[in-house]
Amino acid sequence: MEEITGMEELMRRSLGGDKRAYAELLRETARFLRPFLSKRLSFDSEVEDLLQEILISIHKARHTYDGKRPYKPWVYAIAKFRLQDYLRMHYADHLRHAEELSGLEENLQDDVTESGISYESISAEVEKLPEKQATILQLMHQEGYTAKEVAAKMGMNESAVKVAAHRAYKVLRQKLER
Amino acid sequence: MMDFEKLVAELADNAAPVKAAPHPYLLSLKWMGAAAVYLVVSLAVSGLRPDLAHALAQPLFIAEIVGLLLIFAATSLSAALLAFPDLHQKHRLAFAPAWMFALFVLVMLFAWRADSPPAPLPVHSFECTLSIILFSLLPAAWTFYTMRRYASTNYYWAGSIALLSAFSIGALWIRLHEVNDSILHVVEWHYLPMIAAGALGVWLGKVLLKW
Repeated sequence: MEEITGMEELMRRSLGGDKRAYAELLRETARFLRPFLSKRLSFDSEVEDLLQEILISIHKARHTYDGKRPYKPWVYAIAKFRLQDYLRMHYADHLRHAEELSGLEENLQDDVTESGISYESISAEVEKLPEKQATILQLMHQEGYTAKEVAAKMGMNESAVKVAAHRAYKVLRQKLER
Repeated sequence: MMDFEKLVAELADNAAPVKAAPHPYLLSLKWMGAAAVYLVVSLAVSGLRPDLAHALAQPLFIAEIVGLLLIFAATSLSAALLAFPDLHQKHRLAFAPAWMFALFVLVMLFAWRADSPPAPLPVHSFECTLSIILFSLLPAAWTFYTMRRYASTNYYWAGSIALLSAFSIGALWIRLHEVNDSILHVVEWHYLPMIAAGALGVWLGKVLLKW
């Protein structure tokens, strides 16, 4: 069997339709991108998700590589682009949650002093919520997970997690304001 | 997300032979060639300024036209490079428009100083900006359409440079068509709107070139 050497060569073959070379190239690419992403992200699950997104982007953009220039700078340009996108979305997500939470806290603040709502009473109300909503709030606000991480943990869609959390806030607010 | 090996297998399975994108030099040459044809045809239809021979005898007018040509060439090349994720590994060339714009500002400063006593202002004003915009629509649409086939990782810049490129060809057309010697008018209604075009390009880049 002919030995394939060099990522540029692998990419040239991939562009010609060599599936085996392409699979090998993607694995090699993942091998050097994993440490790059691990240094910049906190969780292994994030690294794996983003790595897969980057591989899909490489697949979409492979026609922009001609095999005549170094492969790694081309890959890193795509990886950095996707990483920036991911971080932008991630921080925007955090900000939204912080706003939601502070909104809830603001609404509850007055009532807490007047009606004696305590941490225990909030926890008790959380426990009365449907199981899924209660778990989501617990993971997000007690254990500090993001909506995306909760979604991954519970096998749900990220937006479904956000909707469930939003509904839970609403129910909690109504109950605690009484 | 799916299992890593499953994704690799799926992508490899879809790895049909792909035709590599043209080299950015070739791409920019295509844009420049098409723009040159568009300019010549437009000037043939709209007419050259009647005093062109007289204008071409003035060094500062020639410098201004050459400056616009250089801006157009540099922005075309830069837009082509920016359409590639890694700028085809020619980062310095992608910044060439900055030098051309600096050179052009210098030419306009000299022209401003030489405009003494100031040439009379033409009766029209914003019509020039509007004409340039209308003229630029076709090159801009074609440039964005072509760039969308590639994969820009600097879509804000790519959009801005693409629109500046189209606007510069419009500005060149109007200078060769309109009889006008007022530098004040030219700066105010031909070249300052370029800044707005660049800003609009940032937004267009985000909308049209994100992938």
